Amino acid sequence: MTAITPAPPQHATPARASRLSFTGVLRSEWIKLRSLRSTVWSYGIVIAISLGMALIMSLSMVNGMNGGADAASAPADQQARFVVESSVFGVYFGQLVAAVLGVLVISGEYSTGMIRSTFTAVPKRVPALAAKTVVLFLATYLVGLVATVGAFFLSSAMFAAIGVTASLAAPGVFLPLLGGALYLALIAVFSLGVGAMLRSSAGGIAAVLGLILLVPTVLQMIPADWAHDVIPYLLPSAGMGMFTTTTAVATADEFGVWLNLLIVLGWVGAAMAGAAVLVRRRDA
Amino acid sequence: MITAAGLTKRYGAKTAVDDISFIVQPGRVTGFLGPNGAGKSTTMRLIVGLDRPTSGRVTVNGRAFAEHRAPLHEVGALLDAKAVHTGRTAENHLLAMAATHGIGRQRVREVIELTGLESVARKRVGGFSLGMGQRLGIAVALLGDPATLILDEPVNGLDPEGVLWVRRLVRHLASEGRTVFLSSHLMSEMALTADHLVVLGRGRIITDAPVADVIAGGTRSSVLVRSPHASRLAEVLAGPDIAVMRSESGLLEVTGIEAAGIGDLAAAHGLAIHELTPQTASLEEAYMALTADDVEYRTEAVR
Repeated sequence: MTAITPAPPQHATPARASRLSFTGVLRSEWIKLRSLRSTVWSYGIVIAISLGMALIMSLSMVNGMNGGADAASAPADQQARFVVESSVFGVYFGQLVAAVLGVLVISGEYSTGMIRSTFTAVPKRVPALAAKTVVLFLATYLVGLVATVGAFFLSSAMFAAIGVTASLAAPGVFLPLLGGALYLALIAVFSLGVGAMLRSSAGGIAAVLGLILLVPTVLQMIPADWAHDVIPYLLPSAGMGMFTTTTAVATADEFGVWLNLLIVLGWVGAAMAGAAVLVRRRDA
Repeated sequence: MITAAGLTKRYGAKTAVDDISFIVQPGRVTGFLGPNGAGKSTTMRLIVGLDRPTSGRVTVNGRAFAEHRAPLHEVGALLDAKAVHTGRTAENHLLAMAATHGIGRQRVREVIELTGLESVARKRVGGFSLGMGQRLGIAVALLGDPATLILDEPVNGLDPEGVLWVRRLVRHLASEGRTVFLSSHLMSEMALTADHLVVLGRGRIITDAPVADVIAGGTRSSVLVRSPHASRLAEVLAGPDIAVMRSESGLLEVTGIEAAGIGDLAAAHGLAIHELTPQTASLEEAYMALTADDVEYRTEAVR
């Protein structure tokens, strides 16, 4: 019987006036996302990779242009293409980090047991998954914008040395930058869906990185037409097409921006639908 | 009030909870006892909808837990002290849980103070001891100021002061008219804390009764008698409802007659008595007797 016992509970705050709401769940998921170190690290790395790759790419392109007399006299859209190509180069690598983060956002809850707290507070479960998706999508999109637009300014500064310029106001410039950021956000959401279905960090990361890195290479090596025909429909191929294609509408040679976006949305939609069904059905 | 009716949960071939029905009343502490693997935790998970029952139904205040508009105000649950992301601080965990129901920062501060977590609130949960993890779990359970509390082994890992604190806390919560459903493997703790007991063995309810009844009815009470005339006294005491056991010379264990009756008989026959001690069964003994019966029954059934 020591004296160090806290007083009996006081219910000073009328907490009971509040109730469960989707905005509340959104706020909760935002607190969860920003209060983990892995999020801060991942987003920091996405931006660092984007800037670093833009620096390397633009320096190497500027050197390859030998003083740049030809490039500087090229038409404006050709000049813009040089700068944009350098600006979105980091997205190839950034997508791997975004994918890992997407898996961890949900698999980390399963591995630590946090998911049981989450589902006790939001017993219908799907709203929690939906809120997680919205928060991850918006945060990754904003980080992606900082990464690609930052890379654009860095590349512009490098290309300015040889007189090659690009205007951020030109659709040929800002659309690929937006598209690159959008792809990062969508691959994070796709990975969230995979992580929710597999409930394991190792399994989820292996699955999404395998799909991004391994599957296209393997299909490339299969000496059959069908294998090569499938490649453009893969998530990473269509994703890249969202910001590297020069045409908006499909042509005989390429899908164009909109069709590629549609394919990516199909992958994301399938992963999230599977996740929603399994999250509802399974014991937690 | 928690109402379970015909609740059954099977995991593959294993039946964790086997057709149980019980009611946990408000205004008192209901203890939930049972050996490891008896199905206590599964039952609690079924109440808050983390697991889906194979058959049967369980409601909290008349509705399935998931159907409530503000689940955290209905039920505060401590099911697993480790149900927290290890990379997050205790305060951020509480803030995230509170945000779902629009519960303010002020209430988060209150439960942190209430559970004595002030000094570690800004530290990541991964470094917490078992006891601090339990306190955080209790803080989460209290967050919504709920009408019903479900606490799975809340004193597990707590120091004696913490155990005393939990005991006072749950008694206080019940005295406010709340429903308190508490599991523990510490029978002695239950004897001090609970008013009512639901005892579970191998997924079935063995007893559902007030604590006093379980102690009284669980085992026979006996009287220890020490006398230089033990043999003579044993003959005098012998009767249809009375059992006398001789453990060592001069010592008798008598069941079926009160201490006063033994003293009177001995006096009437002029036999000296050196010790006369009534032995009340502890809850622990009562509980062992209850579950032992269950195990025996099961073994025979298998055979």
